Amino acid sequence: MTTSEPPELPEPEVEYRRPAWYEPPADVVPGIVSVELILARTPQRAIGLTGIRAYPIGFGCTLHLRLREVIPGEQSNFGAFNMLDEGVDPAGEFADYYLRFGVGFADGRKATNLQQRHDFDEGPAPDPPTLRLVRWEGYDRLAWEVDVWVWGLPPAGPLAFVCEWPARGIPESRVEIDAGLVLEAAGRAVPIWPDQPR
Amino acid sequence: MVPGVVQVAVLVARTDTHAVLVDGLLVYPTGFDFDLAVRRRPGHPHRHRHRGHLWGDDLRLEVRFADGRSADNNPRRWPRPSGDQLPDPPLLYQSTSGADGGHVWLWGLPPPGPLTFACHWPSEQIPPSQAELDAGLVLAAAARATTLWPDEASSP
Repeated sequence: MTTSEPPELPEPEVEYRRPAWYEPPADVVPGIVSVELILARTPQRAIGLTGIRAYPIGFGCTLHLRLREVIPGEQSNFGAFNMLDEGVDPAGEFADYYLRFGVGFADGRKATNLQQRHDFDEGPAPDPPTLRLVRWEGYDRLAWEVDVWVWGLPPAGPLAFVCEWPARGIPESRVEIDAGLVLEAAGRAVPIWPDQPR
Repeated sequence: MVPGVVQVAVLVARTDTHAVLVDGLLVYPTGFDFDLAVRRRPGHPHRHRHRGHLWGDDLRLEVRFADGRSADNNPRRWPRPSGDQLPDPPLLYQSTSGADGGHVWLWGLPPPGPLTFACHWPSEQIPPSQAELDAGLVLAAAARATTLWPDEASSP
């Protein structure tokens, strides 16, 4: 009896083209703003923000969620990842353990993680700005990094980063930077393939 | 700690269809982490590969210090745990990997001079490629890393 390998199926070629509001552009090297911010800090918990990466259509940044120690009974999930609406109670309110984060532009527009859309193939594009959590990585129960994508560049003026974490004793906390830093960095973004039609 | 930011991204490789980017460089006093991002040129489909996961099929990355020390993402070269003895830096750990790259932690800070990122991805036709970054940018970012809860016994 001879053995033979099953025929190799042709590999499907699938092109994923997600809309611009969903994630950062893949064909652009961002301009980077060198800021390191502490949005909130208590004796037990802290939220930092670094690494603003600016593109012509929006910007990303990284949240650093830190616990000083594990508190017995405290949720190990930082409550920042509302992929399955697990942070929402039957009345539609977000639970206290759910981290709230958002940005506020000088013209009054704002976007928060409480209004995230994940269904990029349904319905029209939202109005900018929008905010999505696009990556999260935990090293242990004391630290998580969360990448945020904000679609839409801010106008000149103050750019506010706001967070609130009721169950962890962090009231609404706000830090502002000059949006000009983001706009200048967006001007330094370069296409990876300059001859690519846009 | 909240890390310091390196204010540049590094384009390590570029072909007509793919690019490899080192992005999101965040630095701590003990090392730095970054996104190893594989980018595909729009209009060029992503080819799925349904075959066994071998390190040889993945994007290979090496980071080289100016003093000749280096580390790469070959898991077969990770040191075996040996009690409390720490391995000699640098040590590269890629926590996630896939068709779009992954997230990397490099333990150990580079000395001043060129910091080289080198990559190679034979299965995706990315030839051996490298780019340099001034390690001074990394060292300056390390100095900006912020301790969140300084020792209460020390002065504020």
